[in-house]
Amino acid sequence: MSNPQEINGGAAVAMVGKDCVAIACDLRMGSSALGVSNDFEKIFNYGNVYLGLTGLATDVLTLSDVFKFKTNLYKMREERAIEPQTFANLVSSTLYEKRFGPYFVGPIVAGINSVDNKPFICGFDLIGCIDFAKDFIVSGTASDQLYGMCESLWEPGLEADDLFETISQALLNGLDRDALSGWGAVVYIITKEKVVKRLLKTRQD
Amino acid sequence: MPGLSFENYQRNQHLATSGFAVPKTTSTGTTIVGCKFDGGVVIAADTRATAGDIVADKNCEKLHCISSNIWCAGAGTAADTEMVTQIISSNIELHSLSTGRQPRVVTCLTMLKQHLFKYQGHIGAYLIVAGVDPTGPQLMSIHAHGSTDIGYYLSLGSGSMAAMAVLESKWKREMNKEEAMALCTEAIESGIWNDLGSGSNVDMCVMEVGKDSVLHRNYRTPNVRAQKERSYKFARGTTGILGQTVRNLVDVVEVPIANEEMEVDS
Amino acid sequence: MNGISVDVNHLKKGEVNLGTSIMACKFDGGVILGADSRTTTGSFIANRVTDKLTQVHEKIWCCRSGSAADTQAVADIVHYHLQAYSAQNDRDPSAKVAASLFQELCYSNKDSLSAGIIVAGFDEMTGGEVYSIPLGGSLHKQEYAIAGSGSTYIYGFCNTHFKSNMSEDEVIQFVKTALAEAIKWDGSSGGVIRMVVLTKEGPRRLIFYPDEYEKICN
Repeated sequence: MSNPQEINGGAAVAMVGKDCVAIACDLRMGSSALGVSNDFEKIFNYGNVYLGLTGLATDVLTLSDVFKFKTNLYKMREERAIEPQTFANLVSSTLYEKRFGPYFVGPIVAGINSVDNKPFICGFDLIGCIDFAKDFIVSGTASDQLYGMCESLWEPGLEADDLFETISQALLNGLDRDALSGWGAVVYIITKEKVVKRLLKTRQD
Repeated sequence: MPGLSFENYQRNQHLATSGFAVPKTTSTGTTIVGCKFDGGVVIAADTRATAGDIVADKNCEKLHCISSNIWCAGAGTAADTEMVTQIISSNIELHSLSTGRQPRVVTCLTMLKQHLFKYQGHIGAYLIVAGVDPTGPQLMSIHAHGSTDIGYYLSLGSGSMAAMAVLESKWKREMNKEEAMALCTEAIESGIWNDLGSGSNVDMCVMEVGKDSVLHRNYRTPNVRAQKERSYKFARGTTGILGQTVRNLVDVVEVPIANEEMEVDS
Repeated sequence: MNGISVDVNHLKKGEVNLGTSIMACKFDGGVILGADSRTTTGSFIANRVTDKLTQVHEKIWCCRSGSAADTQAVADIVHYHLQAYSAQNDRDPSAKVAASLFQELCYSNKDSLSAGIIVAGFDEMTGGEVYSIPLGGSLHKQEYAIAGSGSTYIYGFCNTHFKSNMSEDEVIQFVKTALAEAIKWDGSSGGVIRMVVLTKEGPRRLIFYPDEYEKICN
């Protein structure tokens, strides 16, 4: 049998562009080969931070609620929304707390720091080791394919509209070679002015 | 570590026994070295992080700051080296505050070894600890089970054989800073080229008696990605869209404009 | 079935092992400890200049064999207790006190430790004592003690060549020759030979390099 992170399937990817970041995921949730849902979004929003959570669906839902709780508390105590860098450390320590009984997830974080307006993305392994990347982060059952796609398609300094095309094509073509991911996809293009969420046209097999 | 939770342990153990493989953690594959010289000590590391046979991070940081005068190079489970280093860094800060003394490398080493021994090797951190303190330059290593070694030159990680080959053949007594830095660079590069678990760049930290320690991030970059010959930018509109929603982040703030009503006195 | 079984999986995977040749011996005027300097992880030599002779008090030292982590942890704890002992009682502890502390730790944690330790100390009352604490945590007072993987090769040599009340020069030669043979025949022992001589003058360190000791048993 496969590993717990691959039971439900799903993939996510984040990219940095010029004064913008993008984060995208598929919509499938299955039970091994059996598709269960085509409306399972894996990206969660906390203020100006976006979190992509792939892996075991029960842990995805549990953790998304844990972070909702923790970021709400943070906002009440600090009287401001959490910044992406701070949130990344929150994710890291939350995951490492379960070092010897981890959540089976692969989180990715994307956002723009509201103080210096710098784009920020990062990824984690299941026990909270942060991977700070200047280009892109991939996660989920299609991560091998996504590494290949992003490594060839990504280039520095992409404008928001170009970044959308690049991340969408990277995700779409990555998903096509993963049986456990697909069934729809969403992309968030984040700039300091606005966040555009787009539902992509994808194969449904 | 106080507060580690075993909430999911039984569930995960059940999953493991019913045939689900245990997922991979990020490992720092790694070549790390350390070398003493006259009046100081230098440590160096490669910058590749791996998850199985996938390169997870091409330019990660394996040199961790414990205090301003003590630095640590980590190999093994990436999350463990990071977290154990952060915990001891914070305890060292508190310790030096309460004793009113500059922290010592042996203190740091003892804290680390007692912590790692308590966890019986389950915290997979293999560290080279180095620094300058009131007793002079110090260089030591710790294995995950809590055993420690002292040496003039040390190497750890999957590329330690490649690095040690260089150190054993080229190390000599009484080296100056430049010679030690060159030796460590060559040892790490030996790991970068000959060990699959190590790659990308060389990070280095130099600690000298009476001076601030200096971190040379990406001291050598022998694996720069070549500029792409062609752009793979897609024409805008390539991707088919089914729907779109926009969330505006620009706050609308009502600013009162000064007018007659604002006058306080008349 | 010969009734003797060695649990090769006892060491945790990847653990640093002191696959060792160590010994300690009484002589006229004190005690001497000796050890090789090799530590291994599997077939890799993790350290070729290890110091397996550890001080737990001014004139009480120990030789460590087995898991490096376990023996260091035990020695650190004993070191702590002996310091507390001399501070509280205003006198140095005897070798027997040190050996009993080692034994207590090794016996009560026998399920989780792999430590074979030789304790040797000098005090004015006894003129020096040697204690051996093998794997299970038992305590044996001996004229001389040998331990570690390399010791199996020198039981015969030591038995024939040991004499009571040797001079310092004689005992150094005895230990050097015994360890040179152990290193020669045992693959997991090697490096330099380290010694500590404990007399009323205090501890004195000696080191012998392969070029020299290999000539003894070419």
